[in-house]
Amino acid sequence: MSQHLQSALTEPLVEEVERRAEEAGVDYEVTLESLNQWQLAWRKFKKHRLAIIGLGILGVLITVAIVGPFIMPFEFNSIPKPDKIVPAGRPPSLVHPFGETGGLQRDVLLLVVNGARTSLFVGFSSMAIGVIIGTIVGSVAGFVGGFVDNILMRVVDVMLSLPLLFVILVASRFFGNGNVFLIVVIFGLLSWMGISRLVRSLFLSIREQEFVEAAKAVGVTDRRIIFRHILPNAFSPIVVSASLLIASNIVTEAFVSFLGFGINPIYPTWGNVLSNSLTFLLQGNWWWPFFPGLMIILTVLAVNFVGDGLRDALDPRSRA
Amino acid sequence: MSKYVIRRVVQAIPVLFGITIVVYLILLLAPGGPTARFANNPRVTSEDREAFKKAWGLDQPPLIQYCRWMGLCNPDKGGNVLGVLPPPDAFIGNTGWPQFLPTPISGGTNGVLHGDFGVSIETGEDVGARIGRAALPTFILVGLAFIIWVFIALVIGVNAALRRYSIFDQAATVFAYVGYAMPTFWLGIMLIFTFGGPGLNILPVSGMTNTRASPPFGSDAYWTYFGDHTINALLDIGRHLILPVFTLVVVNIAGDSRFIRASMLEALGQDYVRTAKAKGLPGRVVTFKHALRNALLPVVTNIGLEIPFLFTGAIVTETIFSWPGIGSLTIGATRAFDYPTLMGVLLITSFLVVLANLLADIVYAFVDPRIKY
Repeated sequence: MSQHLQSALTEPLVEEVERRAEEAGVDYEVTLESLNQWQLAWRKFKKHRLAIIGLGILGVLITVAIVGPFIMPFEFNSIPKPDKIVPAGRPPSLVHPFGETGGLQRDVLLLVVNGARTSLFVGFSSMAIGVIIGTIVGSVAGFVGGFVDNILMRVVDVMLSLPLLFVILVASRFFGNGNVFLIVVIFGLLSWMGISRLVRSLFLSIREQEFVEAAKAVGVTDRRIIFRHILPNAFSPIVVSASLLIASNIVTEAFVSFLGFGINPIYPTWGNVLSNSLTFLLQGNWWWPFFPGLMIILTVLAVNFVGDGLRDALDPRSRA
Repeated sequence: MSKYVIRRVVQAIPVLFGITIVVYLILLLAPGGPTARFANNPRVTSEDREAFKKAWGLDQPPLIQYCRWMGLCNPDKGGNVLGVLPPPDAFIGNTGWPQFLPTPISGGTNGVLHGDFGVSIETGEDVGARIGRAALPTFILVGLAFIIWVFIALVIGVNAALRRYSIFDQAATVFAYVGYAMPTFWLGIMLIFTFGGPGLNILPVSGMTNTRASPPFGSDAYWTYFGDHTINALLDIGRHLILPVFTLVVVNIAGDSRFIRASMLEALGQDYVRTAKAKGLPGRVVTFKHALRNALLPVVTNIGLEIPFLFTGAIVTETIFSWPGIGSLTIGATRAFDYPTLMGVLLITSFLVVLANLLADIVYAFVDPRIKY
């Protein structure tokens, strides 16, 4: 049926263009391309200049995070010869574009490259855990409603009233043991509340729409309604807030590691590198904390730009 | 209106109760428990640990501990039911009234409900007193920063909205994006490099007072010193305030100025603004009397919601600049596994969040006559 509908709509248009081309005396071949939802979204996304820049930065960072450590492996037991040590480190030069740290004379570029892997891993995977939990809780609350909804939302209220930064600190210190995976789980378990509220409100509004009513009327099962009718329509707001979650988790991880409660300080995450640099703060080697921090800013900017682009691209009301 | 206020207050009670349970659960589940602080101390034997637990009442079943910590149970009444539940007579205070009632009636003095947050395991001081002492530096730091950043955000946001898409607006947008992405602790470190010891060496980078010139802040000796050299003491605190306040201001302007800009743009697009312009009112009057006043409504709520986070949000800045406030207290307590202090801080800050939510809702209903309840 949709095929038929499309040709009924597009054929007069094609004929019109061809007729006018003939009148003007130009040879004009008209083909119509039908775009699906994703192609339309991509077309709108491409118009968003900052989002494309953000996507580029993010692409480079992810490539560096995956490939970089193979080219520049981090050996934490390599110790420079005593006569080579400059206590204040060496400033950026051609050999070491980001400079060398004080103390163990690490190449800051190497630390940053290896840190990218951990930081991005924590950001993305804790986002995934948070989004999954948030979507499940929000869907159940929004679809079942009533008593269950009330209980779940009170739990969310309570969780959102806690000062999350404090709770994350305390939880990382008490449960984390410096383990990357535990830190990821802690971050995921403490970052789903916003998403669950969002998903619940989306469910409440989509549930009342005609197409869901129609699906119910023809006897579609609840499971199919949730997965085929409601969730796909709730997809884009979830993606947008998920992208913001990545950014905030990366910053929080850096902060928690910076305080020494996060990932084991022997691993070079961006937060750990910053934290280690504090010991040599008075030596004046500014390049040591500068570059990891710059990476955090770049990542967060890129993620936010991509998020903005996604918001515009996935909104069916905005036109390309 | 009063009905609405009462309903909101009643709704907040289960949330407050839930917070106490969650705070208690987090610290109950933590591996090691309060004795984890002795883990690396070979002089503390396992008998010592048991004695420590017994002395602090940590050998009791979790529900009884929670009940006593809350102030629902009378700690003078021992025993338990099935090894789990507190015995029924524990809920009765020494005067015969239920224990949870205020001290003059029930005679109970223990627990959160009676304003007793316990004793710090780390220092042996009263937790309430510790938090109270740390609150003053935090309020000085954050209060000052808050006033400055709200003012600057207002100026930036309103001007950006009035001159939409101008160079100023675009510069403000870039600034907001970068400010939003910038980690507070990184900005702090960079400021220390620039203005502190390693760089220009013109501003103090740590603490609240010059400890060589005056006794430590908050001690009795300090207040005597403060009385004798008020101007010098204030100037000293002022110098120490510059960098942390600057850090907080830069990081927090970003979000608020965007919010104010959006709110102002919405107000400027309203019909009554067009009417005001059409009837020939001067631009200033339209901007400030018609648009800004209405634009401030959502801003007031938003800023109201930010207030409790002032308490916690400065944790990063306080750590970097060794400011002796709530943030430093929390970090220290986390390092030392000081459970009572952590629970006190978590609880008080969460209560502040609930309170601020409540106030923001009520104030909003009060100032916006369009909302009917």
